[in-house]
Amino acid sequence: MSEQPISIIIVEDEPEFRRRFVQIVESEPSMKLVGVAANKREAQAILDKVAFDVMLIDLGLPDGSGIELIRQVSQKKPDVDIMVVTVFGDEQHVVSSIEAGATGYILKDSAPADVISCIRLLRAGGSPVSPVVARSVLRAIRNRMGTTAPARVPGAEQNPLSARETEILQLLAKGMSFNEIGEILGISPHTVTAHIKKIYRKLAVHSRGEAVYEATQMGLLRS
Amino acid sequence: MGSARGAGVTLPLQRFGLLARAGLFLLVCCVSFAAPARVDESRTIGRIDFIAGQRNAMPPSNAAWQAHGLPMRWSSSAGVRQGLWLRLTFEVATAPTEGWGLLLQRLPSGGTVYLNGRMVADVPTDTDTQRVRWRRPHLINLPTDFLKSGGNEVLIHTSYGSGVHGLGTAQVGPTAELQPLYSREFFVSHTLRWISLVLTVLLAVGFAALWFRRRSEYLFGMLALIAFFWALRSLDSAFEVLSDDAHFLSRLAFYVGTGAFTALATITMWRQSGRKRGRAEFGIGVLAAMGPVLFLLSGGSFDLTVGPLWLAIMLGALALGVLSLARRAVSESGLVLRLVVAALLIALVAAAHDFLVAIGMLPFASPALLNIATPVLVIALGATLIDRFVRSLAEVEKTNADLETRIHEREQLLKRNFDRLRESERVKASAQERQRIMQDMHDGLGSQLLSSLMLVERGAMSNEQVAQILRESIDDMRLAIDALAADDSDLFAALGNMRFRMEPRLRAAGMELQWDARNLPEEVDLDPNAVLPVLRIVQEALTNAIKHSRARVVRVTLSVDHDGDAQWLSIRVTDNGRGLAAKGTVTGRGMLNMKSRAARIAAFLKVESVPGAGTMILLRLPLNPIPGPTTRAMQLSLDTEAVIEQLRKE
Repeated sequence: MSEQPISIIIVEDEPEFRRRFVQIVESEPSMKLVGVAANKREAQAILDKVAFDVMLIDLGLPDGSGIELIRQVSQKKPDVDIMVVTVFGDEQHVVSSIEAGATGYILKDSAPADVISCIRLLRAGGSPVSPVVARSVLRAIRNRMGTTAPARVPGAEQNPLSARETEILQLLAKGMSFNEIGEILGISPHTVTAHIKKIYRKLAVHSRGEAVYEATQMGLLRS
Repeated sequence: MGSARGAGVTLPLQRFGLLARAGLFLLVCCVSFAAPARVDESRTIGRIDFIAGQRNAMPPSNAAWQAHGLPMRWSSSAGVRQGLWLRLTFEVATAPTEGWGLLLQRLPSGGTVYLNGRMVADVPTDTDTQRVRWRRPHLINLPTDFLKSGGNEVLIHTSYGSGVHGLGTAQVGPTAELQPLYSREFFVSHTLRWISLVLTVLLAVGFAALWFRRRSEYLFGMLALIAFFWALRSLDSAFEVLSDDAHFLSRLAFYVGTGAFTALATITMWRQSGRKRGRAEFGIGVLAAMGPVLFLLSGGSFDLTVGPLWLAIMLGALALGVLSLARRAVSESGLVLRLVVAALLIALVAAAHDFLVAIGMLPFASPALLNIATPVLVIALGATLIDRFVRSLAEVEKTNADLETRIHEREQLLKRNFDRLRESERVKASAQERQRIMQDMHDGLGSQLLSSLMLVERGAMSNEQVAQILRESIDDMRLAIDALAADDSDLFAALGNMRFRMEPRLRAAGMELQWDARNLPEEVDLDPNAVLPVLRIVQEALTNAIKHSRARVVRVTLSVDHDGDAQWLSIRVTDNGRGLAAKGTVTGRGMLNMKSRAARIAAFLKVESVPGAGTMILLRLPLNPIPGPTTRAMQLSLDTEAVIEQLRKE
């Protein structure tokens, strides 16, 4: 691959999985492990000291939620790709990580090759997505637009997604693969994953705007 | 010269006349036009001389002139036309250079006017074919050439038939000074008369239109008739020159109009004051009819004989009506009613005044007060119309506001009920969800883990088998989580997730997974309870293919088709493997499982297998024809409209 190895830090509290991920990364010559943390506190110590490209992070940390950490990193280091490690790939965890700034997720029991290819996909500018997550992203965006929650008119926004992005999400939600979608739309699978990453970014930006809005409402932020 | 009567007749009644005038003072003051013309005493001619005679023979100055004060009134019932000379004299110190004039406030019969023996004006008089009754004043130009210093003499020759005649006040002076007096007098005696007539007609039309649109408003119909008859009556005095025939019709119209007006107005006022007097009403009707009937029977002489008496009776009847209405106005608080009663009283007094003037009990030249009182009455009655209109509007507004409030309340109620219903549905749904998950844990994962545990404890399982069991358990759990995550009926996303989970395994088994979901709609309405069983059935089919088919390609096709009104979802899992083995094998048990699951969700499962060529498993299940959210919202709004409709009817 490239001459510059991808530098990675791992934040995982369970020793067994931590060991597994460390092993996967270390056995891959194009990647370099630059830090390992077992909890939020350790992770924060590493963040300031070490430069890295990808953070693999488990959400359930003993001293707090990984979501916090994701938000912090995505704001401080926009170039970093954050990959959430999840047990089930269920929508709630994944969507809230995306909203915090994560651009990818991977199942804990994924095969080593899948982990590696997922990290590569991220660095190449793409993002993985499952049908259920695609569906949830669509739903999250619709809710923000206020179509299903009329009470939230002040927060209602324009649909941030382009028509093409919405179309891709809809196809993904039906269980189509990147290749198949690329065939249908006449674009490369790589472009499809790039679109997905863009969608994730938009979701994060919008949820940040929303957080600011809510904070203002609660009087936490002044002008 | 017939029956030229002097002012002596009116003398006994002078005091009454003064009283009546005092009573009208306020009214007269209000309308400045009616104020008697005030001029320089020196130019008002107070006395005249008169003598009977024909126009062709100017009477000599030594003829037997009789003197009389002005105004002067006389009447004739002779039926033939007679001629009368009138002489006015006035002094002029020096012959004026500017235009002078003679203002005759009233000369109903018209006449030819001479100044110092030379004719200066010819106002038409009665002839064989025409009847004149001038109600306007006459301003006659006196040429300066004809005027001389010292005494000047004006002779007027008038010709008259039967009826009441006279001469009002007379003034001489510069035309510039007399002109405004003339204009004022002209307005009161002529213009205002026409204004009254037009207003009355408009009022009649207004009331009639209102009654026409609302037949139940009996009062407005009556008011329309009353106004109409009043207008009919007023026609007579509106035209000053008429042919003989037209004059007769005009008088008839006057009596018919007066009679009908009096009867209707009196009866209406009685009824409006809350009394129904059958006999009195009948009596009024008979009395009112007598006028026109007697006029037709007696011809023109009625005007001078019984006519005034009949008019007096009519006036009395009206007075009774006004009084009974006044009593109601006093006992009730209603500004409009009081306004109308006040206007009626004014009109009554004005009518009485004009009547007294007509019969000679008040000085001949008194202004016709009805000309002023009629617009006042019309305005008062118009006010009732406006009041009525404004009140209706206010009522409509209030009703609308009430209705809106009630609709709003109902809407709130509906909304609350709707919210409550939705909340209880939500609670019910989550209870069902919990039930489903527990049942699922119990039947699926729970029993699988338990049986595996027993096998492991017995030491009957290899590591590989344990890993296999655990993998299957995790698969099952993921299935359940996908099914839960898939909101309501999001089967396709859950199926898609399963596709990506199964794909590596199929690949590992040397099989290609083809997934055809192109023709799916974005959403379908599926019973939430069906999602997990469908996932299990498809997973089972794929697992079977991995384990037994030895196929190279496994194809999953998802489609929705319509069968009449019903919608069906079809899921086809096809492989090109070796086909199913004979019955009774392990595969059979899996098949039974799938079939019973399909049966539980009212789906239909078909398995076709050709040995050596492959297997096709088709799952068909009905979709809910439940209306989507849009239709539901529409129903809600329809309900609201139904409520509004119902409220309007209440």
